[in-house]
Amino acid sequence: MRAGLSTIQQTLTSEAASVLNHSIAEATRRNHGQTTPLHVAATLLASPSGFLRQACIKSHPNSSHPLQCRALELCFSVALERLPTAQSANSGGSPGLDPPISNALMAALKRAQAHQRRGCPEQQQQPLLAVKVELEQLIISILDDPSVSRVMREASFSSPAVKATIEQSLSSTTSNSANTAGPIGLGFRPIVAPVSAVAAPSPNRNLYLNPRLQQGAAGQQRSEEVKRVIDILMRSKKRNPVLVGDSEPESIVKEILRKIESKEMDGVLRNVEVVRVEKDFALDKTQIVAKIKELGTKVGAMIGNLDCGGVILDLGDLKWLVENNQTVGLAGGVQQQQQAVSEAGRTPVVEMGKLLGRFGEGSARVWLIGTATCETYLRCQVYHPSMENDWDLQAVPIAARAPSSGMFSRLGSSGILGSSVESFSPLKGFATTTTLARQPSDNFDPARKTGCCPQCMQNYKQDLAKLLAAKEIEERSSDIRSESTLPALPAWLQNAKAHDSDVKTVVQTQTKDQEVIWTQKTQELQKKWNDTCLHLHPNFHQPGLGSERFVPGAVSMTSLCNSSLLGRQPFQPKLPLSKNIGDTLQLNPHLVASQPMERTSSPPRSPVKTDLVLGRPKIIETKPERTDKERLRDFLGCIPSEPQNKLQDLQSNKLLNTLDIESFKKLLKGLTEKVWWQRDAASAVATTVTQCKLGNGKRRGTGSKGDIWLLFSGPDRVGKKKMALALSDQVCGAHPFVICLGSRRDDGESDVSFRGKTVVDKIAEAVRRNPFSVVVLEDIDEADMLVRGSIKRAMERGRLADSHGREISLGNVIFVLTANWWLPGNLNFTTNGISLDEKKLASLASGGWQLRLSLSEKTAKRRGSWLHEGDRATKPRKESGSLSFDLNEAADVEDDKAADGSHNSSDLTVDHEEELGLTNRLLSNSTSSSISQELLNSVDEAIVFKPVDFGPVRRDISNLIRKKLCSIIGDRVTIEIVDEALEKITSGVWIGRTGLEEWTEKALVPSLRQLKTRMPTSEESVVVRLELDCESCNRSREDWLPSSVKAVVEDGFCQKGSVFDPLGINPEVSSGLNGAWESFIALLTPTFESTSGTKKDKSSSARGVAAAIEDSSIEFGDFFKGPLPGKFLKLLAFLALSRLGVYVPLGGVNREAFVGNLDQNSLLSTLDSFSGGGIGRLVVLANQVNSSGVMPIIFSTSSLALPGTLARFTGISVLKKAAVALIPLVRPAAFLKTVLSRISVLGSVFLAILAAGPAVIEQTTHLTAFRGFAGTSVLILVGCATDTARKVEAEIISQKYKNIEFYEIDRYGP
Amino acid sequence: MGIVEEAHNVKVLGSGDRVTVLAHGFGTDQSVWKHLVPHLVDDFRVVLFDNMGAGTTNPDYFDFNRYATLEGYAFDLLAILEELRVESCIFVGHSVSAMIGAIACISRPDLFSKIIMMSASPRYLNDVDYYGGFEQEDLDQLFEAMGANYKSWCSGFAPLLVGGDMESVAVQEFSRTLFNMRPDIALSVAQTIFQSDMRQILSLVTVPCHILQSVKDLAVPVVVSEYLHQNLSSESIVEVMTSDGHLPQLSSPDIVIPVLLKHIRYDISTV
Repeated sequence: MRAGLSTIQQTLTSEAASVLNHSIAEATRRNHGQTTPLHVAATLLASPSGFLRQACIKSHPNSSHPLQCRALELCFSVALERLPTAQSANSGGSPGLDPPISNALMAALKRAQAHQRRGCPEQQQQPLLAVKVELEQLIISILDDPSVSRVMREASFSSPAVKATIEQSLSSTTSNSANTAGPIGLGFRPIVAPVSAVAAPSPNRNLYLNPRLQQGAAGQQRSEEVKRVIDILMRSKKRNPVLVGDSEPESIVKEILRKIESKEMDGVLRNVEVVRVEKDFALDKTQIVAKIKELGTKVGAMIGNLDCGGVILDLGDLKWLVENNQTVGLAGGVQQQQQAVSEAGRTPVVEMGKLLGRFGEGSARVWLIGTATCETYLRCQVYHPSMENDWDLQAVPIAARAPSSGMFSRLGSSGILGSSVESFSPLKGFATTTTLARQPSDNFDPARKTGCCPQCMQNYKQDLAKLLAAKEIEERSSDIRSESTLPALPAWLQNAKAHDSDVKTVVQTQTKDQEVIWTQKTQELQKKWNDTCLHLHPNFHQPGLGSERFVPGAVSMTSLCNSSLLGRQPFQPKLPLSKNIGDTLQLNPHLVASQPMERTSSPPRSPVKTDLVLGRPKIIETKPERTDKERLRDFLGCIPSEPQNKLQDLQSNKLLNTLDIESFKKLLKGLTEKVWWQRDAASAVATTVTQCKLGNGKRRGTGSKGDIWLLFSGPDRVGKKKMALALSDQVCGAHPFVICLGSRRDDGESDVSFRGKTVVDKIAEAVRRNPFSVVVLEDIDEADMLVRGSIKRAMERGRLADSHGREISLGNVIFVLTANWWLPGNLNFTTNGISLDEKKLASLASGGWQLRLSLSEKTAKRRGSWLHEGDRATKPRKESGSLSFDLNEAADVEDDKAADGSHNSSDLTVDHEEELGLTNRLLSNSTSSSISQELLNSVDEAIVFKPVDFGPVRRDISNLIRKKLCSIIGDRVTIEIVDEALEKITSGVWIGRTGLEEWTEKALVPSLRQLKTRMPTSEESVVVRLELDCESCNRSREDWLPSSVKAVVEDGFCQKGSVFDPLGINPEVSSGLNGAWESFIALLTPTFESTSGTKKDKSSSARGVAAAIEDSSIEFGDFFKGPLPGKFLKLLAFLALSRLGVYVPLGGVNREAFVGNLDQNSLLSTLDSFSGGGIGRLVVLANQVNSSGVMPIIFSTSSLALPGTLARFTGISVLKKAAVALIPLVRPAAFLKTVLSRISVLGSVFLAILAAGPAVIEQTTHLTAFRGFAGTSVLILVGCATDTARKVEAEIISQKYKNIEFYEIDRYGP
Repeated sequence: MGIVEEAHNVKVLGSGDRVTVLAHGFGTDQSVWKHLVPHLVDDFRVVLFDNMGAGTTNPDYFDFNRYATLEGYAFDLLAILEELRVESCIFVGHSVSAMIGAIACISRPDLFSKIIMMSASPRYLNDVDYYGGFEQEDLDQLFEAMGANYKSWCSGFAPLLVGGDMESVAVQEFSRTLFNMRPDIALSVAQTIFQSDMRQILSLVTVPCHILQSVKDLAVPVVVSEYLHQNLSSESIVEVMTSDGHLPQLSSPDIVIPVLLKHIRYDISTV
């Protein structure tokens, strides 16, 4: 049975093995004949944060309180008590002999193994040993045991339920483990550190000790180990200890040698000399043999000395024995040579053996002491198989330092089990520690070294464990290959025997290579997790940090590149040629079918993972995936497609199709209406937005993906802006939030004043205010690096970090980035100075201008006819047969070329494409192209806005106007559009917000109708001229087009010109006194309108409470009606003065503080400094009536004095606004709101009455007695009142509890 | 000095036969008892300690798993009592520590002669037939605010909890100790506390309990005291003090200290 035990231990993971060891120890302690499943279950239960315990708690039907487990523990201990004790013969003599494993437990272990193997299909073929049973599987199989489930039933737990819980958690283990910080429920898998099997019983035992505290107690553990080593030294056989372990065995050796040198030892070790030989050997490897011989004589001399009890040779780290081989072995490629060399390396071993043999006998003795890592020791055993025997070595496993977390926190210090857990026999201990010690030493206990957060740590460990398991499998298989004749023990566990080294060497070189790879892998892994942790650390408590499994290179290439194709398929037939799609379309669609297969057929490394790929990605997965992605990008070039996991989406794509198309069409229509000249772009935008809304967009690592990023590139600034506007209108029915990142601020609307906020803050604020809005970031190419960086990060993570480090989710915001450059693929795609044209247009539109329609006689009033006639002669039109149409076009080359034929929109595109091929302008430079490249990779879609050619636009406009004229007045009239007027209209339409159709309907058509009424019926040769009206230049800045067109009948044509204005369109017509007033109003209105206009824009998009209040209660215009403006201005003036006053040095005024106060705070806090902190105190929101401080009183008092208008400003809305504005960064939670509304409303009303009371009394009674009651005194009064009330209340409540009367209340003092 | 004592900054003051253990609540440390201790040292051995996770303890010792439930703290408490070889003590627990004491006394009733619970609540969340004062959304917002900006959260939370003026000494003191905690630990502790539900264990308590309560307390409504009183299986007594806020021993010592002293000195009469 004992042999069986060690075999079984090999099949367990370190955790499971240590559990088993503990159970055996427990059985030993209780003097039981066998180790049964009950022991294991009790052991598992013993640790307070243990897995089984948590599962039990979780699955308990009634309560989820941890204490319920107490009952279970008790039941188990009772059950254990009942077990038969061992025969005296078995347990009496040798405490080293452990009780054998019972058949039931053996069966359970076998079951666990079978379960474990079933989990990983990949390893079906592997031999039994290759599969390590994980702790969870062990628990499950233990729970299956009838005796265990019986005991659990006694404690009213059901073992199937517990088992189900564990199984459930197995399948979701790692995704849920983020919740460890959360309540009791989920994520109960504890952080499993490599727990050492050697539990050192500490002298000062404390049952409830925090395991972390034991880190400090490592010294005690050390002393235990020192004691063990010295015991070994005292023995007669196998007395040369080699300390094997990764956790600084040197320190123990040092401690021992110090003790020996300072003669603290008794017995044989008294008067022993220490010789340190490591340095000698390490320096010169070729001289080792000679050195050893030299050493022999030296030792001989020392022993010859009479008072020398012996010599200890400190060999130091044994790696010199193997490193020699390694270096030479690597250098010599030929095996023959290598063999010879390793033969040569063996001589020192032989020599040393001789030396030991020489001095071994007799009273004076020679010891060896050395240290080694597990790897080194294994290598030693393999290279020098006889060494262990020759040198008489005894390996001493050194446990890992105190566990970093409490897997066995209670047990480790002997826990409920009551008495000490003996340290294990060396063999057993060694077995477990070496498996652990496989980790290279620098990875050991990384918690201390790397400073990862616990979650990351845990993930890292899991990954490492996986890697470890994988490695073990490899090794094991190779071992087994070479040693199939041997019993199933791995090589390093057996005592080395002289062996034919041929096979060995081959195997060892292999393992050596593996070792190197392995080390690299672990380092990579560690680095990865450190990075991840660093990345996540600021917010690592967030949920969603579930661990993931890192399957290097397992993501198939096919699944990567066809993913976005899948999303696009529904739209393929409709899509205009867009670069991205062009790329993806080339991919073979049959990959779609293969993708799911790929997914399922790439098997995870361990059974825990079967469910992973289908789930939504977790946040933490970004990192590895990205690295994978990056690696793949190297292969694939720049295909901007990312993996996408939503299989379900794909399946339901068909269903969604119809819906898609409808919304897509609607969106497209809306967009093209507004931005008719960018039809391609509009459809691209519509496509992308629809797709993204449906979740088929590019995935950028984060799972939740509501945000959409669009990049509008190209020179057409106006087009881009309008597109964004239209998109915003369509998608969320509001204006977009425009943030200009570039230096260009020439557009009136986008001059957001940043006032100390960074751009990112601004964006964050916009997003926070409305998570469903459209945010336009203009001129991303001009943005500085920092901003661009954070935007890029935001794209990748779906969260935006503002300058304070707070992160906000991007929600469903659509981000539109505009940039001026071309996409990199389109460098040859250029314009010919059209931006100049745009500028010209912009300048044209900006001047105030007005249009008028005038009616004139064709012959008499023609201007510039020479030009037009020439025009007409060369380019006769279809329509010109019936209607002579004066069209003033720019005489562009392209225009002439494309002038024939109808100018509908499809022609526009043709034009553009021609032009794009022709012209050549290089806007982008190298830097911007690199920026664009990186942005291009991140955004959902990059949309190219082609430069606009205004020729067709102008033609469109004139055609439209002409059509309108025809339909209204009839086709007997010709219209003549003055060149400048046309250009102005063009620019107005282009830049302004009103569409062309809209404008003609609104402005032109009425005028035309009007004109028609005045049209002389008889005249045939009438020309209607649309020209600029220079006389009146009033136009709101909002609109780039005149809101009306004046209809004028020119002199002689109609005599009663002035009478003709029934609608009062022309302000000049309505003359009289009114005129002066109205012109004054008109002077004021533009500014007011613009201010109130912008205000409303903001409020509607923000939908903030404050804004809503403002909207509903006070019209801005009212402000200027009362006497208030003067006062207000005065106040402002004073404020300004106070600002100025800062610069006036005054005695006793701390200027810096004052300036700081003014600068860092808002207007309110500046006011606060005048109110003596009264406003600031508002923030306190204490739960008292007078929470609002003096303010309500002041308000109410002043409201008595001020005119009624002011009353509307006072009261709650002001208070509320002030309070909300004043709590910086703390979210005024719903709680605060309710408190405020409850307290402030009633409180301020109450106080207002109180404040008004004295005045009213005085007025009515003419008594001056109450004169003193104002302001603060009222407050004091109220304070006293409430205090008294509270006391009474407390007294009333206390009266309920009669017990209180049993006290001798009078005696407080002793 | 043992590891436990060192880790928990255990202080033993005064002389006397009986031992009083003062345990602080969330966001504070043992300094919260500064007004009380001088009155006790003459008659009692006073044991002061810091809960793990408080600003004065070593954050390395804070095991997020161990302290994911209040049981971890209870073990700590027992460890301290064990280490000091306390055989019986009067336990004064403030806020969460009251519940910790309750848990501890269930497993080791022999160690506690009585428990004085100040501003204690077995559950902060409202439930069917239970009013704890908080809704889940409130807590979510609270945790979110904590995670977002701990400093500003502290400065907002402190006056709310203490129920005093922004400038008052008590608020400043509480802000100080609150801000001393490492933010992630603070969040974890707050989550543990606010999500805890100790109603199940109340019926297991066998030690007499004195329930003290401010008349106005943001975290603990007065009805909670009533609930405790009715559900504790042991003898219990309630006294509602005229003080204000969750940390009355800090904000209004003149009211609270006499009451506390009274409850420490005199047991519930069995007449």
